[in-house]
Amino acid sequence: MKKVLVIDDNPTIVELIKYAVNLQSAFQVIVAYDGEEGLKSVYAENPVCVIIDVKMPRMDGYKLVRCLRGDTRTANIPLIILSAMTREEDQMTGLLSGVDEYLTKPFKPGALNAAIERVLLLTPADRQRRMDYLLQTHAERE
Amino acid sequence: MHELQRLRTLHILLVDDDPDACNRIQQALGSDFHLYHAHSLIEARQHLKEYIPDLVICEVLLGKESGLELCRFIRNTPSLLYLPIMLLTSLTTLQDKIAGFDAGADDYVVKPYDARHLMARIRLLARMKNLEQQYD
Repeated sequence: MKKVLVIDDNPTIVELIKYAVNLQSAFQVIVAYDGEEGLKSVYAENPVCVIIDVKMPRMDGYKLVRCLRGDTRTANIPLIILSAMTREEDQMTGLLSGVDEYLTKPFKPGALNAAIERVLLLTPADRQRRMDYLLQTHAERE
Repeated sequence: MHELQRLRTLHILLVDDDPDACNRIQQALGSDFHLYHAHSLIEARQHLKEYIPDLVICEVLLGKESGLELCRFIRNTPSLLYLPIMLLTSLTTLQDKIAGFDAGADDYVVKPYDARHLMARIRLLARMKNLEQQYD
């Protein structure tokens, strides 16, 4: 069974995410409780998708995303941030870091599963187009 | 690509003791980036005293020195607090990456790199740090 990795230091949130993802009966959910453990799990477990919290001990979610996007071995793993940080600048930091979707808590199971389905369809070319779009926005602001 | 060419030239300090590294990166990045090259930590610190670039790209392995020392120097210097640091290195283990972020790096890119991807990450990192500075 394909694996979805959840990286979040809050056990209650982890259980809610597990419940939501298990509704699809399509994935085995594996868990890491901080950024460093999560990074290790990505290499060890080879998940098809990673759901990442932002505020975590040892390595925050944004750095984790940048770390994964900076290595060709992990640059194209679908990544979703699921965070309680709802400000526009938080979401922008997530997108600039290279995340595919930025969802906010509280979340609906259906919204999370829809996001998983969307990111699994993304190709490297789609990610490059997204980066180009963000850069274009950047040019307009400069 | 025409849209991307409208982006302003970024000034980058590259810290790498390999004399060819600068040429290779300049070739990869094209003319949209202005690259300054420091071969050692002393040169890098001297450069930063005289001129603050938009971004620092640093190799971790610098002969007997370590790029992580430069990261810590930058993060401990108030005037350089928001200077974005990218480690561009051949070190690939988890411990290396964790040590890099712990030292204050903002991004960690493993060699070999794809030129287009690297260009985009440099610009996105610069913008991210701008955002951080605005909202802090």
